[in-house]
Order: sequence, then C-alpha cells, then structure tokens
Amino acid sequence: MKGLIVIICVGCLFLSNALKAEPVWFGKPDATRVLRINSSLDLASFSPLLERFVTLHPDVRVSYLDVNTLELYKKTIQEKANPSASLVISSAMDLQFKLANDGYVQTYSSDATARLPSDAKWRNQVFAFSLEPVVMLVNKDKYPGKLPEDRQDLLQAIRQYEDKMTGKIGTYDIRNSGVGYLLASQDARQADATWGRLIEAFGSHKLQTYCCTHEIIDDVASGKLVLGYNLLGSYASQRARTDPRLKMILPKDYTLMVMRVALIPKNAPNLEDAGHFLDFLLSDDVQKIMQKQALLFPILPEMTSVKTPYIVEAPGPKRVIEMDQQLLVGRDYAKQRRFIKSWEVALEISEK
Amino acid sequence: MWQKSLQNQSPTESNLSEEREALKRAPSLRFRFIVVGSLVISIIAALAISFVFDYSNRLADLSYDRLLRSALLQMDENVGLINNEVSIDIPWSAFATLAQANDDKVFYKVESSDQGFITGYKDLDITPPEEPIYDKVQFFNRQYSGEKVRFAFLERHLIEPDATGTVRIILGQTRLSREELASSVTQRAVDIVLIIALAAIALIVIGSHLVLRPLHRIGHVLEERSPGDLTPLDIKTPKETHHLKVAINHFMSRLQVNLEQLEHYTADAAHQLRTPLAGLRALAENARDQTSPERQHQVLEDIVNQCDALSQTVTLLLNQAVVSHRMQTRHREPIDLLVPIAASCREQAVTALHQGVSLSLDTELSSATVLGDGFALQQMMQNLIENAVRYSNQGEQQATEVVVTVAEFASYYRIQVIDHGEGIPDDEKERVFERFYRGRYDIAGSGVGLAMVKDIVDHHTARIRILNTEPKGTTFQIDIAKFKVGVTI
Repeated sequence: MKGLIVIICVGCLFLSNALKAEPVWFGKPDATRVLRINSSLDLASFSPLLERFVTLHPDVRVSYLDVNTLELYKKTIQEKANPSASLVISSAMDLQFKLANDGYVQTYSSDATARLPSDAKWRNQVFAFSLEPVVMLVNKDKYPGKLPEDRQDLLQAIRQYEDKMTGKIGTYDIRNSGVGYLLASQDARQADATWGRLIEAFGSHKLQTYCCTHEIIDDVASGKLVLGYNLLGSYASQRARTDPRLKMILPKDYTLMVMRVALIPKNAPNLEDAGHFLDFLLSDDVQKIMQKQALLFPILPEMTSVKTPYIVEAPGPKRVIEMDQQLLVGRDYAKQRRFIKSWEVALEISEK
Repeated sequence: MWQKSLQNQSPTESNLSEEREALKRAPSLRFRFIVVGSLVISIIAALAISFVFDYSNRLADLSYDRLLRSALLQMDENVGLINNEVSIDIPWSAFATLAQANDDKVFYKVESSDQGFITGYKDLDITPPEEPIYDKVQFFNRQYSGEKVRFAFLERHLIEPDATGTVRIILGQTRLSREELASSVTQRAVDIVLIIALAAIALIVIGSHLVLRPLHRIGHVLEERSPGDLTPLDIKTPKETHHLKVAINHFMSRLQVNLEQLEHYTADAAHQLRTPLAGLRALAENARDQTSPERQHQVLEDIVNQCDALSQTVTLLLNQAVVSHRMQTRHREPIDLLVPIAASCREQAVTALHQGVSLSLDTELSSATVLGDGFALQQMMQNLIENAVRYSNQGEQQATEVVVTVAEFASYYRIQVIDHGEGIPDDEKERVFERFYRGRYDIAGSGVGLAMVKDIVDHHTARIRILNTEPKGTTFQIDIAKFKVGVTI
C-alpha cells in the first residue's frame, strides 16, 4: 500500500510539473504589458475572472502559472531578488503570511484594499479575496451507512465499516501540500483529541494522500475513494453541484474557514498591473461574479442578495483561520518537524 | 501770585494731539502683560509637549513590553525535553498575545548552549546590549530585517534532569503598534495642551481687560468731572485700586486746602491794600479840610509816608511773585553768597535805623560761592531781616540790634539772622513756615514772607532752623552747601 501512495504522489508530482511547466496565457498576444501570476488556484475557478480582466484591460496580457502551494512558497523565496511573478495567490495562508513577515512582500494600498476588513489583510501586504469552508466530500453511492455530519460520524463509520473504508479515504499529503499542512495543523489546534483519533484511524485504515484537491475529488467521484477529507470548499462545491454522485459536507462539530490570499512580491515587475489585478479581485463586480457564477466564496459576500450556494451556511460553528501572527506558530521549524514526523508515524510512512 | 494759579482751562486741540502722540509712544501695561503671559504659557506648553512625547514613548514600550514578556514567558514554559532533545512547543496563545499588535512582524530564535539552533530565525544573531542575566527578561531595540525591532531576551539554565547548559529565547516584534499608540497618546495630549494654552492666553487677554477696567473707570470719572469739582471719588473700586482712589482723594483734598488758602491769601492781600488805602483817603480828606497851612503840610507829610508804606507792601507782593516765577523757570548758577546778603543788609539798614534798630553784617569771609539764584537769595535775606527788625520792635523792651553772620564750615556756609526780640514760642516754630501763618495779627505783614523763605531754602536744597537767641530773641540759621566745581545740578 505504501508503494501505491508513493507512486500516486510521484505521479501527481510529475503531472503537476508537466502542467506547471507552461503558463497559460490570457489576452491579446500583441498587448504591450505582461502580468505574470503564480497561483495555486485551479484554473477552472479562475479563468472566467482572468478573461474578464483582460477584456477590461486590453493592453495587458496575463500569464497564469499554476503552482502547488508549497512550491509556490519556495519559488517566491528563491526568486526574491528577481521574482518572475507580479502577483502570488495561494490558499496556504500561513506560508503567504510568513512571506510577508520575513520581508519578501511589497506593500500596496488602494481604495479597494482600504475597504477590506482589517482581519482580511495584514500590513497592506497580504490580502484575502475569498473565504471558504473546508469540507468533506463523499461518494453517496459508495459511502457505507448514513452520510457523516461531523468527524465523530466519520470515526464511527471507519470503525463500523472497516472493510469498506480501508484505503478509501483521501486527504492531502501535508509534506507536499502547503494548504494540506495548514488544514491539518489547524485541525490539531482546534480539537487535539479528535485529530489524534482521526489520524490514528486514518493511519490504521490506509489513508491515501494526494498533492492536489482535484485529484482527490476525481477519485471520490470515480468511487476509488468514498470520502475526501479537508477539501477546499470552492472546488468541492463546484463538482458536487454538477456530479450527482458527490455530496459536500460541512462538518457540524466545527467548520474551518480558510482564506485565499494574494500578495505582490518585493522587487516584482509591473507593480502597476499587479495592483490593478488586486483591485479587480476585490472590486464589488468581481466579488459578485465569484458568488453568482459559483467560482469562489467571496471575502465580501453580498448577504442581501438571493440565496446562492456560495454563501457559507455551516451547520456548526465556523472556525475562521485568522490571518495573524499565530499562523507563524504552525510553521515553526521545530513544531513543523515534529508534526510531520508524528503524522508520518501515525500513517506508518517513514520516508517522504 | 505766589502760588501757582490753578488754571481750569479745557484742553486745547494741540494738547489733545500731543496727548495722543504720547499715548502712542507710551508702553502698554496690558500689552506687556499679554506678551509675557503668552510667552510663559508657550514655554510651559512646549515643556509639557516634550514631556508627553517622552512619556508616550515610554508608555507604549511599557504596555507592549508586557505583551512581549508574556509571550516570551509562555514560550519559555514550553521549553523542555522532547524525544530526548531540548526543544520547544510554541503555544498558539503566545503568538495570539503578540497578535494584539496587529501589524507587527514577529521574529524569534530559540537555541541552547549544547545543541545550538533549535528553532526560529537562524540568522537572528542578536545579543542584548548588557551582559545577559540568567532568568531575567531584557528588552532592547535593534535593527533587523530592515525594520526597527523591539527584542525581549531570556537566557536560563535548563533544569531538566538529562539536560545541561542554558537555553536562550529571543523574541522580537516590530514597533508599528508602539509608534501608533505613542502618537495617538501624543496627539491627544498635544491637542489638550494646545487648547489649554489657547484658553489661558484668551483668559489673560480678557483678564487684563477686566483688571485694568477699574483704572479706566477712575480715569473716566475724573475726565468727566466739572473743572471745579474736587469732591472725593465715590465710585466703588476693587481692593487693588483702592489705594489709588484714596491717593487721588487725598491729593484732591490737599488741592482743595491749597485753593482755599489761595483764596484767603487773595482776600488778605486785598485787605492789606485796602487798609492803607482807607488811611490814605482819611488823610487826604483831613488835608482837604485843614485850613492851617502848617497843619495841612503835616497831613500831606503823613500821606507821603503812608504812600511809601503802601508801595513797600506792593513791592513785597510783587517780589514774591517774581521769586516764585524765577524759581520755576531759572536754573541755579554759581554766585557769591555775600553779594545778595550784603545788598539786602544795605537796603534794610536805613529802614531798620528809622525803627531804632541797628543792623550789622558780621563775616570774615571775602567770598562764599554757592549754586543759587541771587535775586531769590536776596529776597530771602530781605524777608528774614525785615522779620527780625519787625519783631525787635515789639514787646516792652525795644531791642536795638539785629546781626547777620556768615560763617564757613567744611561743606557749607552758615547764615544766621539774630534778633533780640520777643522770640517765638517752641510750639509755633514749626508753624511759622506755613503759608499765611502769622504769629501775631497785631503786627503788619503779608503772612507769606517766611513761607517764601522756606520755599527758597528748599529750592537751594539748604536747611533752615529756628533757634532761640540767648537770653531772648530768635535766630534763623540757614546752612547752604558750598559750590564745588564739576558738580552741576
């Protein structure tokens, strides 16, 4: 089984590398200016917004490079003297925050950023433009018994239907996925005991680990997995609405809420268009489009409008991962090492 | 007139414009008060503001240092042996404490003497400015990562059984929130200080007006008075201007007395002229009615004598007026004192002899230079001699001698006019110099002679004393300063 996980991981690394090698271009090829964005966001959710941007700014050509959250962090640090991207977008809030704390980020302010509530930005360097729930996604047909409402139900199901659950649960490999690590560490922080039992149960029932959300969703849809744990709500919700086999569940015990944040690296080229794009993301229009077209959960949702699926209605308490200095604790060198170590031990993986 | 006439004339146009000019040039009490007051308040305000700057910075450090210390201690509490090596499990709450400084970056490093770097920022090689003291948190400011950072530093011995050496924790926080707090405190305090200072200055401006208002009121009341009105001011004034009011009232009452004396004097002078005039008329009628030429000749002789006496009185009055005028207008000059003394003696000698009194001048000096007015001194001597001669004639026994002596002393000359008449009783000596005082009304005299003497003496800054002559009589003694070259007055 261990071998299979490794193969999957290596496979998805290859796959993602192959995908990431070439950026996707938007806008006219003869446009005078180029805006390069490095992002962990799935293009499916983002391309309508990019298309709209280049329509509004016909003289700008946008290059969009999809990078995994952890790689994105490393890449930004590597390129600190001469960043390739003018804008870095990631859901790994902690890594983005750490980039700002460690001085890799350019300060930017505008009317649009001033409008953001103070808990959605930090130092005018890191800006959140969406806030989404962290969810479980189940395959309704394959899931044994009653669909889970919370983590306790999931634990119960694992114990009860061991044979059907073994090898059928997937989540991020926290060693490769920045956002995966963030969500796991926040789980451990929110409910240490539940997390302990969960990770123990996962470990004894051959948890499948992935680098990227859409692969987990694909496998849940195909029936290879019955449940994906700690998935980003926007992707899960998109697929669940179109695929009748899938059901998105916001855990009732607590629902983590994670922000997608954008930043402009220090020394980045074309600061002007990076700023324009940031303002564009935070503008009422685009926030509304995210909500109406069900692309993302906006940071500034229009609560008064007709009910849309992209307003979070969690059955239980919402635990927003706050964008403040506490994020640094999760990324503390010693703590991170121990956390990954204990994760590996629990999942019976010894090497990366 | 001997006394300065009181002119109750209304101020003329030129007077008014002069006064206006003078008013323009005069220093303003209120202006000074306001300027000095504002200056003092500005200095105080500046001191207060600089104090506030200092204080607010310390206050901000004090409050945020508490957070930093608390976070550091929470970290310290979680240092221990994990999997047989010294490590730290930073509690989330430690950084939640630091997150109260919203926008401040956090840097930290934990290391031990045995293992070296444990966690945090590897390049954070910062030591406190002072020698670290074990178990004591030290605070200091340093530049790190391009920003000014407040660091807390703690080094302590490991107390776990299997661990040796020390552990160091260094925790830093940028200063944005501190500066924000300090500047908000400063801003408020500066606003308040400025408001207070402005209010104080406004109070000074208003207060100075209020304080000086009673003075204006007194001035106004005086201004509006009818020219002859010398009754006391009866307006109500505050304590502070009470003395001024009292002084004005005293001054006015003295003025009133002087005016009354002047009236008396005028009446007296008129009376003195009327009596000889009436005598003249009686003598003239007598002469007209006389049939015998010898008798008529005798009466005409009397008329001539009476005319001389009248002329003498008029001369005296005129002289007084002249002396008064000279003393107000002339400066003194070096003169020989003996000249006016000798002149007045000569002038009086014959008159005195007519009355059976011999007048002699007794001096060994050949000259005696003083700073003075010869005419006034001559008038003074004349009055004194006349006085002495007049009083020599009174009493049962006719005194026959008046002696004038001039003697030299170290710094002054002493003039004495000695008679052997009745003398002046001690209780009257003080009063003889008072204007219009006359010891005896049966003796002819204007009553201003000795007052004029006193004024002339005062004008020369000399000293006059009345002594008794032995066995009887009066000695007027005047000491007048010698003239010294180089001293001008």
